[in-house]
Amino acid sequence: MSNFPDLPGMKNLDANPYEPELASFDELQGDGPGADDEESVVKTGTTTIGISTEEGVIIATDMRASLGGRFVSNKSVQKVEQIHPTAALTLVGSVGGAQSFIRTLRSESDLYDVRRGEPMSISALATLAGNFARGGPFIAINPILGGVDEEGSHVYSIDPAGGVMEDDYTVTGSGMMVAHGKLEDQYSDDLSMEEARELAVEAVYAATERDTGSGNGVYVAEITEEGVDIEGYENFDGAR
Amino acid sequence: MQGQNQQQAYDRGITIFSPDGRLYQVEYAREAVKRGTASVGVRTADGVVLAADRHARSPLLERDSIEKIHKADDHVGIASAGHVADARQLIDLARRQAQINHLRYGEKIGVESLTKEVTDYIQQYTQTGGARPFGVALLVGGIENGEPRLFETDPSGTPYEWQAVAIGGDRDEIQSFLEDEYEDGMDLEGGLSLALRALASVSDDGLDASGVDVATVDVESEQFTTLSEDDVAERVTELELGGESDE
Repeated sequence: MSNFPDLPGMKNLDANPYEPELASFDELQGDGPGADDEESVVKTGTTTIGISTEEGVIIATDMRASLGGRFVSNKSVQKVEQIHPTAALTLVGSVGGAQSFIRTLRSESDLYDVRRGEPMSISALATLAGNFARGGPFIAINPILGGVDEEGSHVYSIDPAGGVMEDDYTVTGSGMMVAHGKLEDQYSDDLSMEEARELAVEAVYAATERDTGSGNGVYVAEITEEGVDIEGYENFDGAR
Repeated sequence: MQGQNQQQAYDRGITIFSPDGRLYQVEYAREAVKRGTASVGVRTADGVVLAADRHARSPLLERDSIEKIHKADDHVGIASAGHVADARQLIDLARRQAQINHLRYGEKIGVESLTKEVTDYIQQYTQTGGARPFGVALLVGGIENGEPRLFETDPSGTPYEWQAVAIGGDRDEIQSFLEDEYEDGMDLEGGLSLALRALASVSDDGLDASGVDVATVDVESEQFTTLSEDDVAERVTELELGGESDE
């Protein structure tokens, strides 16, 4: 509030409303490599899928990290993380950017919850994620947000420029075209959680077969109003 | 001389406690609230009512320039008592915080969250050197998750939630009236008449519709709405709250 004198010890009311409250975008930036450092930045490559059903949301992700999709730098990456009592986010794009994005959203969600005595709605979480993606130093990220609240099940894709779009099902990452083929064929709006889980795993499997940036197994997150349950499978048969 | 002044010195700075643990400047600020005209808030099952006494000290003063009830956001209204200039700053803060919530989360702010943004701000003026506390109390009323909520802020920065409450001049008298007359499960119209009767209970020559400001936020529309002078006059006549001049 610029018409007030800045008295020592007072909360800064001119803080940027699009920034995380616990750190400014400048502070989050650090000395890390820039977005233009193509070759040396570890990318997830990735296929991540979100499907919403009546009972909840299924998110499935592959397990490969690579350098430009040409060298596998890690074979057991968990690319879906819980960020809220009933929501999870996928890591897509630069690993450092995605991890920082998840830490930031998780702390913002916790802060909102303890202050207001109720968890954030998923649409509020999506708006906040869009604000951070647009204004922040999270470089090239393209995650999926899936969650359940009083309104029901939600799946959002968040693009690097801060675009936030809700859908019944969505895919991001380098394997998205392959996975979409499977989903366009098999998806219907009356899937059970089990059917959605099976479809998501098969779609990730298809992508790992043809996309060099995706592979090495699958992580599956099941999100219901009860909470978030995440498990990893090096073998696709184990997940089916 | 030094000994004599020692006692008084505790009210010089707001950041200094007296030996018995009081902050005199904050207590003086509460006195400033009592010098203002009264505002009343009533929470009912289907909405919140804010009513304020805004009688003019001269017939030449434009009534509309007396600010007692303000819209903070579509779903929240704020009534004040005490220093109007201080109130304006807090109301602007509330309006900004409501918009910041829209920007950050894409949602309207909760009445409780908004009240606490304001009271946290007021509190800083009881602990910061060189500042003076706000000489104003506010009633923050609105709808949150489909439920009516009504809060009070005071110069210490403490938030209180109420079913019905009065701030400003004659507070104690109006509050006892509300305690006697408040009923659970009242509808909005019932809340409106209770608020008007509460203000009339301390007025010697009855209520003048042009000297009362009334606003509601109902659960149906979730919109802050001000009552026109005619709407208020109609109820004043119906409830027979007007002075002799009306009869």
